[in-house]
Amino acid sequence: MGLVKKDRIRAKLKSGETTIRVLLAHPMHTGRGEDDAGNLIDAEFIQDIRCWRNDEEVLTIKCGTATATNPYFSFQLIDGEQGDQITIRWVDNLGAKGTAETTVK
Amino acid sequence: MVDNINQQRRSVLKGAISASTLALVAASGLLLPQRLLAHWPSDAFNAETVEDALLALLGQAEIADDAALQFKVGSPPSYAVNGASVPIEIRSGLAKIERIAVLVDKNPFPLALSLEMTPAMKLPFKSMIKIAEDSEVIAVMRVNGKLYKTSRFVEVDIGGCA
Repeated sequence: MGLVKKDRIRAKLKSGETTIRVLLAHPMHTGRGEDDAGNLIDAEFIQDIRCWRNDEEVLTIKCGTATATNPYFSFQLIDGEQGDQITIRWVDNLGAKGTAETTVK
Repeated sequence: MVDNINQQRRSVLKGAISASTLALVAASGLLLPQRLLAHWPSDAFNAETVEDALLALLGQAEIADDAALQFKVGSPPSYAVNGASVPIEIRSGLAKIERIAVLVDKNPFPLALSLEMTPAMKLPFKSMIKIAEDSEVIAVMRVNGKLYKTSRFVEVDIGGCA
């Protein structure tokens, strides 16, 4: 069982740059994999991830099926202050949504 | 008798109305989840060759093969034990990058990631992707109407596109 299924996000300010790390909990089925019984698993993958800093949209990531299970992203933002609100929202191909929020430390 | 006919007429009318309402709702696309994701570039993600995917996503542009884009795949570089999660890292010294795409040549659908950047965003960008077999992995970025392209060959022990 290991990890609890939960989106994780960390944001840290270091020498004037905000580093953001995101780990989303998602199976990312491509539609070609099989389950234990040999049946195809339907495609289920995140298509769209957006990131906001406070109210400003800073990044959009579009994913295909080739993004790994439990997608991980790490990127940097110019400037930033401690206490900035970072929000990530994702939508998958079945319309499921998720949000992860944190403040910059 | 008259009552009976009227009753029937009513139910027929009712049925017709609800059927037509449903048809309208369906036609307007409210029932389709795809409607929400209209902005997902399905042409590019469903393209089966690198060229098609690039054309659909970034359009026609001059490709400058340049060292301005640094790109790392696998850890250690150019090798991956498990193709289901291969780390990638993209760096660049250029500013005002509009878009970055990561493609895996041998995957059934090559386009893996597409980033739409804003000026607030800065590289390096790191992520994990799936790679089906030994393949060329390509990173393309669009800056100022110009495309920069770099590729790395990656060996994969266990294919990861299940």
